[in-house]
Amino acid sequence: MGIAVKLDRMLLERGMSLTELSERVGVTIANLSILKTGKAKAIRFSTLEAICRELDCQPGDLLGFSED
Amino acid sequence: MKAIGKGSIASILATILHLVRIVLFAAFAGLSIALSVMGLAAAIAPFVSEGARIAAEVLIDPEDLLNVASHFVTFGVLLYVVNRLLEVLKTLRFETPFTPENPSRFRRIGIALLIGEAAQVAFWLVGEAFDAGIDDGIDLLTLVAVAAVFVLAEVFSEGASMKAEQDLTV
Repeated sequence: MGIAVKLDRMLLERGMSLTELSERVGVTIANLSILKTGKAKAIRFSTLEAICRELDCQPGDLLGFSED
Repeated sequence: MKAIGKGSIASILATILHLVRIVLFAAFAGLSIALSVMGLAAAIAPFVSEGARIAAEVLIDPEDLLNVASHFVTFGVLLYVVNRLLEVLKTLRFETPFTPENPSRFRRIGIALLIGEAAQVAFWLVGEAFDAGIDDGIDLLTLVAVAAVFVLAEVFSEGASMKAEQDLTV
C-alpha cells in the first residue's frame, strides 16, 4: 500500500465536493481523482500547499503511511 | 525547423517513408512472384518434357535463385523496418513518442535488422558453396546501426516510464 491519500475523508469532513476543490486549487478534476483514488505516483508541493490551504489542514491529515 | 506539425521534420520524414514503403512493397511483391515462379519451375522440372525442362532449368540457376532470395529477405526486412518507423512517427506527430509501445517497436527493428544480417551471412555462405558470387554478408555498419537502435529502444523505454510518472504527478 505505502502512502495512502485521505482526500476523500477530508472532503467529507469539510463538506466540500471534488469539483469545488478543483476550482479552488486550480487542479483538474481528473488529476484530483487520480490523487483521490491513490493512483498518483507523486504530488507537487504546490498542489499539496493549495489543497491544505483550501481544506484548512496539514499535509499529515491528507497523507498516511501503512506497511502492507 | 519544427519538430511536429505541418512542414515539420516528422511530417517530411513520414511523407518520404510512405513513398519508400510503396517502392519497397512493389519490389517485395515482384521478388515474391519471381521466387514463386522459380520454386514452381524447380518443383515441376522433373515431371515435364525435355524442352520444358530446359526452360525450367534456365529459371532455377542457383546463383539467380540465391540472389533473388537474398534480395527478397532484404526487401522484406526493409519493409518491416519502414512500417515500424512509420508507426513511431505517427505517435510523434499525433500523440507523444514516449508511449509504452515505441521501445518494443525499436527493439523489433533491431531484431529485424539482425535477422536480415544473419540471412545475408547465410546466403553468402551458401553462395560460396555454389560459387554463386553473393556479396559478403557481414556489414559492420549494419551491426553498429543495430546497436544504435537497441540503445534508442532503452532511451525510449526510460522516456516512457518518465512520461507515465509525469502523467500521474498531481
